[in-house]
Amino acid sequence: MAVIETIGLTKIYNETIVPVKALHEVDLSFDQGEFTSIVGPSGSGKTTLLNMLGGLDKPSSGQILINRKDITTLKERQLTNFRLQHIGFVFQSYNLIPVLTAIENVSFIMLLQKHSRKKIDQRAREILEQVGLGDRLNARPSQLSGGQQQRVAVARALASRPDFVLADEPTANLDTQSAFNLLDIMEKLNREENITLIFSTHDQRVIERARRVITLVDGAVAGDEKRQQ
Amino acid sequence: MMLIKIAWRNIWRNTSRSLTILIAIMIGLAAALMASAFSMGFVQQRFNNVIERFVSHIQIHNPEFVHDGEVYQYLDKPQKLLQSLSQIPEIKYFTERTKINGMIASAKVSAGVQITGIKPEAEQRLTDLKGWLTKGTYFEDVKRNPVYIGQELANKLKVDVGSRVVINFQDLDGDITAASFKVVGIFKTIELAFDEGTVFVRRSDLNSLLGDEALTHEIALILNDFNQTTTVKNQLQQQFPAYEVRSWENLSEELLMMQEMTTQSLIFLVFIILLGLGFGILNTMLMSVFERTRELGMLIAVGMSKMHVFRMIMLETLFLSFTGAITGMLSGFLLISWLGTKGINLAGLAGDSLAIYGYGNMIYPDLEPQFYFQTAIMVLLIAVLSALYPAFKALKLVPAEAVRKE
Ligand SMILES: Nc1ncnc2c1ncn2[C@@H]1O[C@H](COP(=O)(O)OP(=O)(O)OP(=O)(O)O)[C@@H](O)[C@H]1O
Ligand SMILES: [Mg+2]
Repeated sequence: MAVIETIGLTKIYNETIVPVKALHEVDLSFDQGEFTSIVGPSGSGKTTLLNMLGGLDKPSSGQILINRKDITTLKERQLTNFRLQHIGFVFQSYNLIPVLTAIENVSFIMLLQKHSRKKIDQRAREILEQVGLGDRLNARPSQLSGGQQQRVAVARALASRPDFVLADEPTANLDTQSAFNLLDIMEKLNREENITLIFSTHDQRVIERARRVITLVDGAVAGDEKRQQ
Repeated sequence: MMLIKIAWRNIWRNTSRSLTILIAIMIGLAAALMASAFSMGFVQQRFNNVIERFVSHIQIHNPEFVHDGEVYQYLDKPQKLLQSLSQIPEIKYFTERTKINGMIASAKVSAGVQITGIKPEAEQRLTDLKGWLTKGTYFEDVKRNPVYIGQELANKLKVDVGSRVVINFQDLDGDITAASFKVVGIFKTIELAFDEGTVFVRRSDLNSLLGDEALTHEIALILNDFNQTTTVKNQLQQQFPAYEVRSWENLSEELLMMQEMTTQSLIFLVFIILLGLGFGILNTMLMSVFERTRELGMLIAVGMSKMHVFRMIMLETLFLSFTGAITGMLSGFLLISWLGTKGINLAGLAGDSLAIYGYGNMIYPDLEPQFYFQTAIMVLLIAVLSALYPAFKALKLVPAEAVRKE
């Protein structure tokens, strides 16, 4: 069953002044538990697509169905709550709240979701263990390496078991070793927790690890390749 | 809970910037309070001087005397009143005075003065007349017509202790009477106008010149407890409706008004200072919001509602303001309390010039709790107002823009 489905998704920036067609008639569908990479040259619309899927921006036309529910019609407040309840995000940087420790950063979303303290604490520890940071629970982001920070971000995105996780170039600021390490963790969590994971990247080495690779060129889908691993 | 924690820690991210504004608030507020306390101490000092030295707590007059001050507007048959006064337990001391206007003349100069006939012993218990003695004696060991005059008047008349002066006035029949008096003592208060315009003689001397031994224009009394003033005043007024009973509040309305006006203008001063500080806070918080565009965008992206972000920025601003305000008010309070007991001596600074305006050299800064309370209310108001703008700015964030890499 498709967790996410886009129908004729189109995004035009600056519609009134100098229109920039960032996405054009994109029809895609993602199944539960998929591990997908969005690739394509710079400016091809990767970030735009992920922002649309995550409800961070509204399309110019087209539909985005998440669990068969069209999120393009939601009001801003409903959309924020939808993101909180159903979507996990990992960004390229500025993922964490600098004044909170690793475990507090992971707990933060679950607190907003109003889970019980005890459950939050237990889950935050568990997921940080899973990303290999069981011994850095009380470290602040500034005390962690870039790779470790991204792992905390992944832990936070997955902690509340969202319907899917969107990651826009999560490895862009990491060295090769850390990038592979992060990918390993994402893949492992995807498999163990069966959470749908979509990430964008430029990085050829990282693309190899995805089980599905969608290629965007000039805002349109130029390739959609599923691999068996 | 979490928001409070984040907000509090966020303040300390840019420690030097936060400290700068905190110290500005602290110093600004402490200085504003200190300046206010100093002014209030200034006013209070005059207030106490006037009440304690000259006015006493309650005075009783013929109602007409209050307006005209004529010699024939004396208290009619005061025996019963005097008897009651000695029986009211709240009253500590009272004394009768004869008060007329006249001329005083030395060999060279003459001047218009108020002549107050006092009972020197009794007067001493009510006012500090004796304490102001600078030369000669306070009605001691003198036989005929002693007069006690102020330094200013002595200078003007070019007289000294031992000099003879002539005092002219109208007696009860309207005839001009003149009598010779001998200067026995010279006093100096902090109010030069008083020193120049008032002379004291023995009531018995004055009354025999006026032709009525029992003549009384004024009865002044002080109470055991200052706070009983209104009660005792009302009681006396009710008991003796023919007389006019006035408390120090009526007697020195001008002083009360002055105190009130000073308070008002000081509150305004504090408000202006707070307004300035408010803009400082606003600027600091705006900078802090702009710097965190990405981070705040991320928070909204991952599901923190704008209401939460708004509240977080509000909290940060309020924490910042209140930390500054509390430390500022506290240090202001401590400084005021300390100087309030120790006093500030302005003698070296102002010399004698303060006395011209009726002020002494020692100032004891003092602020009513009410003033702190009003300041706190204004701090709250200004803090909320300066928090709103940065918080609304944060509401304008578009998460998709904010999280895009640059
Ligand atoms: N806010 C915006 N206003 C106008 N044009 C925009 C805006 N955001 C993106 N674009 C344009 O939309 C197109 C797609 O941009 P997008 O950021 O989605 O590409 P991308 O594939 O993520 O690129 P990169 O690999 O560099 O991150 C580009 O031409 C870009 O210039
Ligand atoms: Mg991008």
